Amino acid sequence: MKSVCRLTLTNQQREIKMSEIKVLIVDDEVEFAATLAERLELRDIAAETVNNGKDALSTILIRPPDVVILDLKMPDLSGLEVLQGIKTHDPSIEVIMLTGHGSTSSGIEGMERGAFDYIMKPIDLDLLLEKINQAYEQRKNRRKQP
Amino acid sequence: MNIFNRWLAKFLPADEYGIDDASGINKRYKRFRISLLTTLLTISIVPAFITAAIGYFQYRDLLQTTEKEQLLWNLEGAQKTMQALINELHSSIDFIIREDRCEEMLNPETLDAMLVRLKAKYSGFVDLGVIDSQGIQLTYSGPYKLKGYNYRVQEWFGEVLARHFYVSNVFLGYRNIPHFVIAVSKKLPDSDDIWVLRATINADTLQKFISTINTKASDDIFIVSRSGKLQTSSRYFGNAMEYCPVCEPSSHIHEIVKLQGGMGDVLQVSAALENTPWMLVLMKEKYIHQAAWSSFRKRLLLIFLGCSVTCLVISYSLSTMLTSLIHETDEKRQSLLTDAEHSNKLASIGRLAAGVAHEINNPLAIIDQKNGLMQDLLGLTEDFKYKDKFYTSIAGIQNSVSRCKVITHRLLGFARRMDVILEKIKLNELIQEVLNFLEKEAMYSRIRIELHFQEDLPEIYCDRGQLQQIFLNITNNAIDAIGKDGLVSITTKLQETDVVVQIKDSGPGIPPNILKHIFDPFFTTKAPGKGTGLGLSITYGLVKKLGGEITVSSEVGKGATFEIRLPVNPDKSAERDKDE
Repeated sequence: MKSVCRLTLTNQQREIKMSEIKVLIVDDEVEFAATLAERLELRDIAAETVNNGKDALSTILIRPPDVVILDLKMPDLSGLEVLQGIKTHDPSIEVIMLTGHGSTSSGIEGMERGAFDYIMKPIDLDLLLEKINQAYEQRKNRRKQP
Repeated sequence: MNIFNRWLAKFLPADEYGIDDASGINKRYKRFRISLLTTLLTISIVPAFITAAIGYFQYRDLLQTTEKEQLLWNLEGAQKTMQALINELHSSIDFIIREDRCEEMLNPETLDAMLVRLKAKYSGFVDLGVIDSQGIQLTYSGPYKLKGYNYRVQEWFGEVLARHFYVSNVFLGYRNIPHFVIAVSKKLPDSDDIWVLRATINADTLQKFISTINTKASDDIFIVSRSGKLQTSSRYFGNAMEYCPVCEPSSHIHEIVKLQGGMGDVLQVSAALENTPWMLVLMKEKYIHQAAWSSFRKRLLLIFLGCSVTCLVISYSLSTMLTSLIHETDEKRQSLLTDAEHSNKLASIGRLAAGVAHEINNPLAIIDQKNGLMQDLLGLTEDFKYKDKFYTSIAGIQNSVSRCKVITHRLLGFARRMDVILEKIKLNELIQEVLNFLEKEAMYSRIRIELHFQEDLPEIYCDRGQLQQIFLNITNNAIDAIGKDGLVSITTKLQETDVVVQIKDSGPGIPPNILKHIFDPFFTTKAPGKGTGLGLSITYGLVKKLGGEITVSSEVGKGATFEIRLPVNPDKSAERDKDE
């Protein structure tokens, strides 16, 4: 059983705040995406939400994010298809898959196709923050290399 | 062929779905066994019986024929003997009235002398008389005054004139003693005159003579007239002159008459004696081959009984064996059907569970996030009156969400069909690894874990993660069941091509009504919130997926034993997985 974590900004989080990470949340569940965005904003992470795959791909063109949090199961374009679109457009954008399946296999499949990591719904915010941080670090490294 | 098949279908214990009670099923197998036994007995004993019957009658006929032939042979001998006697009597008398001695015979003294000589030879001679062609007795030698008596009108006189020789039936006459008459006629040489010599002989002579013909082959021998009057005494029919009822229809030729006498079957043969009105009769009461016949019958009966008993024993054991074999096969099939039903049930429940879990998961994620947001905002808000209450409520929601999360994750895990990744696994080591997780918990509860590992257990191809899950679930359950103070013993061993792991606990045991449902999803005896009721059904599904078997046996008060059987050979399990 996890203890309820109170919102206190740690040093690490302050660092992230300084670095101004931009996150795009893609989920057909409007409420979920909005709430998650709000919570990330509270932690000084710039979060934008879209509710389908098409919007996600168009948003990437206009305002490229650092990290995309992508739901696997969506109507029309599926998470994996969107992932492919993102990676063809800009391989340096890191993607964290959201799986509601309770199964690791689809998450692993996403990782095989270039996703940075996956996290199961309902999500643990601390874990997500950690993964976002890691993903951001990797993106920074990738950008430096070329 | 169709008729035969239909008959066979009727005969076999056909599947009657719907008959669920054991007595009905047992009755069906009993009926089958009885009809099988009847059929086997019929096809084995009926031919044996027919063969025995054929043998019986054939042998009886053979014996009868032999005996008949023997009796006929005896008859022939007796007939020849009797014929010889009659011929001798005939020639004796014939000798007396030789052509040249006719004159002498008229002298009573000569006749007396003749009678004396005849008497010396045959004591039965009573008198002699010479009669002329007119029927008048010219001379007489004997005890009566019969000289001058006229026989002309008597029947025998005509016959003797015509046939030159005559033998009468036995009659009583004046003296009331049975006797018979022999008469011979002679034509005188110089004239056409005919003389007749008549001799009376006591029937005793006949009786004595016939008594000398004593054959072993016959029980009774006697002479009878053509009208059925006994000429000599008979064992069966009384003394001479009495009427013999069975001899009447006898004719001249040899004949075999089978009678129903008082003492059973009597075989009778008879033959006519030449130049006499008599018939010689031989009777045989029982078969001469009595001994051979009875021993044959005894042997036949013994063999038949032996055959029958053997048939009975073989048929009985065969029908019992076949019935139990069919019964067993049926039961096996039934249990396979039940198994399949059970897996189907589990699969459909799994699909349902996955659907429900998935639908619930999304709203749950939203609740979780909203709750998190509330908490975040509360952290940024200044203190107010009920702030702590808010925190507690939020913590409560968080707790409930976590519980739901566990359930949905397990449900999804129960339903998912993760790929099985096969690798070489040392089962003993794997179990040891799993136990490392549980050691502390067991220690706190003062539960000892005993290991009985077969050291040379072969490595099995299996999925590591799933195996860990299986043993974790079962061992955890065992620890939960014991509560405090107890023993869990884990045994591994190789049985044929399977590796068997037994996990035995010293807990309170599982009552039979619970044992039945132990692998059913959502079945739990734990307090609400403590168990999902999915642990064992997930374990069951995992073991099945790995091509194994899991069984549980328990007695109340004696703990429970889970047995997991995993194939060493992975190919079969993969195939079985595909079939499901």
